[in-house]
Amino acid sequence: MNGGKVTLGRTAGLYIGAAVLRLALFTVFPGLPDLLTGRVEISTPVTSFKRLQEGLFLYNHNVSPYDGGVYHQAPLFLPLFSLLPSSSSFPIFTYLLYIVVDLLSANALQKIADSGEAVSSALFTSPRREKRWSGLVIAAVYLFNPFTIATCLGRSTSVFTTCAVLHAIAKAISGAPISAMIALSFASYLSMYPLLLLPPLLLLSYDRQPALHTQKSLLAFTLKHISVVTGVLSTLFSMSYLITGSWEFLPSTYGVQLTLSDLTPNVGLWWYFFVEMFDSFRSFFLAVFWLHLSSYVGGLCVRIRTQPLVVLTLLLGIFAIFKPYPSIADMSLFLAMVPLYRHVFPLMRYTFVVAAVVMYATFLGPAFYHLWIYAGSGNANFFYAITLVWGLGLSLMVCDLTFAVLRDEWEVERPEMVGKEIRQI
Amino acid sequence: MAETTTDSVLVTESVAKYDGAETARKQPPPEKPADVRRRSLVIVSFWLIVLCLGLPIWWQTTTIYRAKLPLDDMLDWAEGRACRPVFPLRISVEANDLQQQEAQNLLRLTQHALDDLNDFSGHHLRLQLSPPGRQNESAEIEDTSALTIRLLPGDSPASALHPYSSILDITYPPNSVPTQTSSSSALATYIAGQLRSTFAEEQAIISYLLSTTSFSNEQRPQGLTPEAAESLAKRTTRSLKYSPTYHLTFSLFTGGHQPSSWDIEAAVDEFMRPVLDVLTPIHNFTIDTQIQLYAAPSVQSQVLNKEDLSSFVNAAEWPLSPSIGGAPTVNFIAYIGNQTIGLPPTDQDASDGALATSQSWLVPQWGTVYLLPLPEDTTHVSVLTLKQPLLTFTSHLLSLLGTPQSGSLPLRLSTLSRIRSADLLLRASSTLGSLARLSLALPSISIPSSVADGVAKTMAHLRLACDTLGTPEALYHARVAEQEAERAFFEKSMVGQLYFPDEHKIAVYLPLLGPVGVPLVMGLLNELKAWRKRRREALEKGKAKKDT
Repeated sequence: MNGGKVTLGRTAGLYIGAAVLRLALFTVFPGLPDLLTGRVEISTPVTSFKRLQEGLFLYNHNVSPYDGGVYHQAPLFLPLFSLLPSSSSFPIFTYLLYIVVDLLSANALQKIADSGEAVSSALFTSPRREKRWSGLVIAAVYLFNPFTIATCLGRSTSVFTTCAVLHAIAKAISGAPISAMIALSFASYLSMYPLLLLPPLLLLSYDRQPALHTQKSLLAFTLKHISVVTGVLSTLFSMSYLITGSWEFLPSTYGVQLTLSDLTPNVGLWWYFFVEMFDSFRSFFLAVFWLHLSSYVGGLCVRIRTQPLVVLTLLLGIFAIFKPYPSIADMSLFLAMVPLYRHVFPLMRYTFVVAAVVMYATFLGPAFYHLWIYAGSGNANFFYAITLVWGLGLSLMVCDLTFAVLRDEWEVERPEMVGKEIRQI
Repeated sequence: MAETTTDSVLVTESVAKYDGAETARKQPPPEKPADVRRRSLVIVSFWLIVLCLGLPIWWQTTTIYRAKLPLDDMLDWAEGRACRPVFPLRISVEANDLQQQEAQNLLRLTQHALDDLNDFSGHHLRLQLSPPGRQNESAEIEDTSALTIRLLPGDSPASALHPYSSILDITYPPNSVPTQTSSSSALATYIAGQLRSTFAEEQAIISYLLSTTSFSNEQRPQGLTPEAAESLAKRTTRSLKYSPTYHLTFSLFTGGHQPSSWDIEAAVDEFMRPVLDVLTPIHNFTIDTQIQLYAAPSVQSQVLNKEDLSSFVNAAEWPLSPSIGGAPTVNFIAYIGNQTIGLPPTDQDASDGALATSQSWLVPQWGTVYLLPLPEDTTHVSVLTLKQPLLTFTSHLLSLLGTPQSGSLPLRLSTLSRIRSADLLLRASSTLGSLARLSLALPSISIPSSVADGVAKTMAHLRLACDTLGTPEALYHARVAEQEAERAFFEKSMVGQLYFPDEHKIAVYLPLLGPVGVPLVMGLLNELKAWRKRRREALEKGKAKKDT
């Protein structure tokens, strides 16, 4: 790093470049945003911009936005988007909003990277800490990731969740646990699943407390911050109640995620399974899927207690695979965090396979979807097969990263084993 | 997908075990106690979720709710043990010209004669003497008694049934009145015979109904000849299934462009309404009418023979909806055309000739077609022209509803209500029996509480119907019972899981839970093994220390 000024200039350049690229895409290809909005890989029933438009229309005409069973997103989006000029007549304002949100996420990511939490946490310092990328590079990787750009152009509302999650992590690292909890509450309010990130985030903020007013007991710290989350969430819920005038939004937003009542295909693994499921076993397997999703939190927190940021990263990867309504937006969030572990990349064993599988699924997914829905020459199994491959690639990446991080940790304990081949038994 | 799941679990756990496993070959440094504890914690964290959340949820979501059904009572109903269908019919006798004593005596003898004649215990005729001089109040008596016998002195024994009321006039020569002491009397036997023949059809129908269900054998009548049973079966198949409401559709079809209007409303009011009104206690009717121009029948020939009749109705093109609002539809079609029905001369026997006159025929369980020849230039069909078609429709409606054919109209209708209540009672009972057998045969079928409610309601109404058989309430209760029984039997959530054997559960659980379960169980087993080994070593160490 050569001086603050140069870095600042580069950062500004990067952000301006990213914003210009997005604006250019928006304006040069006016049909592109709507095309991407309609893609199942980008828009899920709980994040779709099209459905947001429907909810907004109903809301502006004084009808409950949840009537008709199309809109499944948080009610607070509605006043926010009704403040903007209509996206059909002045789309530029919506575009600007999404670009700003993306830049804010990149900013938070840059802060996370620059803090060096990934290589040396409070309880563990990696021997390979010298080999890492600067925040600028990581922000650039995020901003110019095609998945991120596609999500931004598709105006999926999951970018708000991404932004809130990244800010929660950044605040926790910078020693502002209360702000971190507030950001996490927002993320949970928007998408519900970030609530599962609470335990590792608590550990992270506990480890990074400012030296001035350190709280000794983890239990007291936990209780205090859980009450913060509860307080913020209940405030958000009561605001939503005031806006929509009923508690109807609870079953329509979180209920849909819990019961998977909308079976629109997506890149996840749930929809096909529950299309086929016997009705009498449906509720049982919904519970199994949710328990499976949440069972990783405890184990990972215990196992990698020394590096809570790793736990957060791995959980984001797991959610991108096993969430009820995943999209490539979740993938882009996970891919935003992975470059923080540049120092363990040499320890990963399947980099090529993972890259190949993810690319394969990325290109064949839309093709198979087309074959199924438009050409009619394939069936649902085509698309489901490719989402399985996608899930396989992602889980391989999560496993590989876990392996690399643990091996890195292990080599501190056993310096004589560095560089030696090991075998999994 | 499940495999990828286990992958990540496996890695977390097996990587945690590297220390122990890898060093086993090369005599590595012993595992640190902190690592051991951490591994146990990881395994416990997974098992806690399985045990504390997984198991209760599994129990909660997959237990089959089986409401308790009174199976024995239900089977009792189905097999006729719970109810003996008995129709006590009260017949009042008006004998104003006889002395009280004589009348009583005649009554006693007639009752004896009736009991001797009666071979079917379900059908009781009970005579009672109505107080003399109350003829003007006969309306009141009619409510409770099925038939009134009026004894009138005359020259010779003769009987006549009033066509429009349920009164049987019997004339007797005064000298035939039995004396106080006589033990038999020709007049009594005569009256008994007349009564029996009046109710013969009803008795036959009810005994036929009983014989077709699984009601116990002892109540089955012996007097039913195979021919009689066959003709009854024919009539039963011809009549519509009972429904509290029927929808009557009157359609005028014409091959050309006229006539284009008809006075159907006035005609229905004049010729059919009276019959519909007297049917009100048993059925409700809704009516609609339509005219269709340029409607061609499926059969074009001038003279229709017997085979043509069944295909005459052009079901593909004529707008005849099968049912409106859930009520079954009865179709009455007047077709304007000069086609005629050619009846073979030999076909005049009762079974077919009675159905088809030269202009109309009855379609079983469906309705009636009437061929109405009109002059070419008729544009409007008047009430008068419609008289004959509507009278035909009315009589066909009665037989479509299953009304008995003999006797006066009030008598036929009261018989109809008794037959219908018996029919519904039997059907509801047999549905209950089927439900009971179903729940016994399939122990894994779920029985929602709504089914138990329906069964309880059915049985309550069946009991009421059985106790009041022969009265109008019986029909109401039997109707409710039948509806509730059908609803309980065809409960949606029950039918879905009609066949789901235990082997299927393995196929449901194993593909997902198997791969997830293997690492969980293996991790737990390994951990337990390691823990036992450590304990044994600790014990041995302790012993060795003591020994030294």
